[in-house]
Amino acid sequence: MTRHTRLLALAALAIGLTACQKQEAPPPPPPAAEAPKVEAQAPAPAPAVISIDSITLGNALNADKRVQQPTESFAKTDTIYAVVETKGAGQATLKAKWTYHKADQTAVVNESTQTIDATAPAVSEFHISKPDGWPAGDYQVEIFLGEASAGSKKFTVK
Amino acid sequence: MAEEMPDFSNVNAGSSSTASKIYEVKSGDSLSRIAQQEYGNANDWPRIFEANKDILKDPNKIFPGQKLKIPPK
Repeated sequence: MTRHTRLLALAALAIGLTACQKQEAPPPPPPAAEAPKVEAQAPAPAPAVISIDSITLGNALNADKRVQQPTESFAKTDTIYAVVETKGAGQATLKAKWTYHKADQTAVVNESTQTIDATAPAVSEFHISKPDGWPAGDYQVEIFLGEASAGSKKFTVK
Repeated sequence: MAEEMPDFSNVNAGSSSTASKIYEVKSGDSLSRIAQQEYGNANDWPRIFEANKDILKDPNKIFPGQKLKIPPK
């Protein structure tokens, strides 16, 4: 082997070693955009563990939102309150569906919803009024917890 | 023959709770408008802002779809 040949062989060996070293280099870090964004994630809402304890009707409320005098018979000019007491804590959507019944027909008077975030047993109320007075007859309010019916109350207007 | 049913289109309705309510912001809302609707007084908007400081940095910037806690009256 000539001196020239040995130099060529050494140069080839050096290039080969350099190439091997490059292959073993650690991979570059992922782009910043792919970093997990833990802070940007909203906390998962607490599971709803609320249940309906009672439904009461009346024409006036106390400061604690409970009816002053439970009744299922109202005057034409009354504001009608449905008070829903709940147990448990968490978020839940309550809906009140008020209906009027005449013979075998039903008319929807009103539907209202409210979503509550309770930390303890709570009292929630729905109310309806009619400026020109309620037609006499038979009515009902049905309370839903989420999509499920949680109970209903019938009442009359005289 | 079906009897004519009364007109209930002018019924007024409302609701409240001893628990905080959750209100989803709609297009065109402002904190004062929500305070007027929930408390009957637009000047009560700081109560809503204080209860939602974890998600609101500026009381003039609320967005449709945001869910705000409405403290009880």
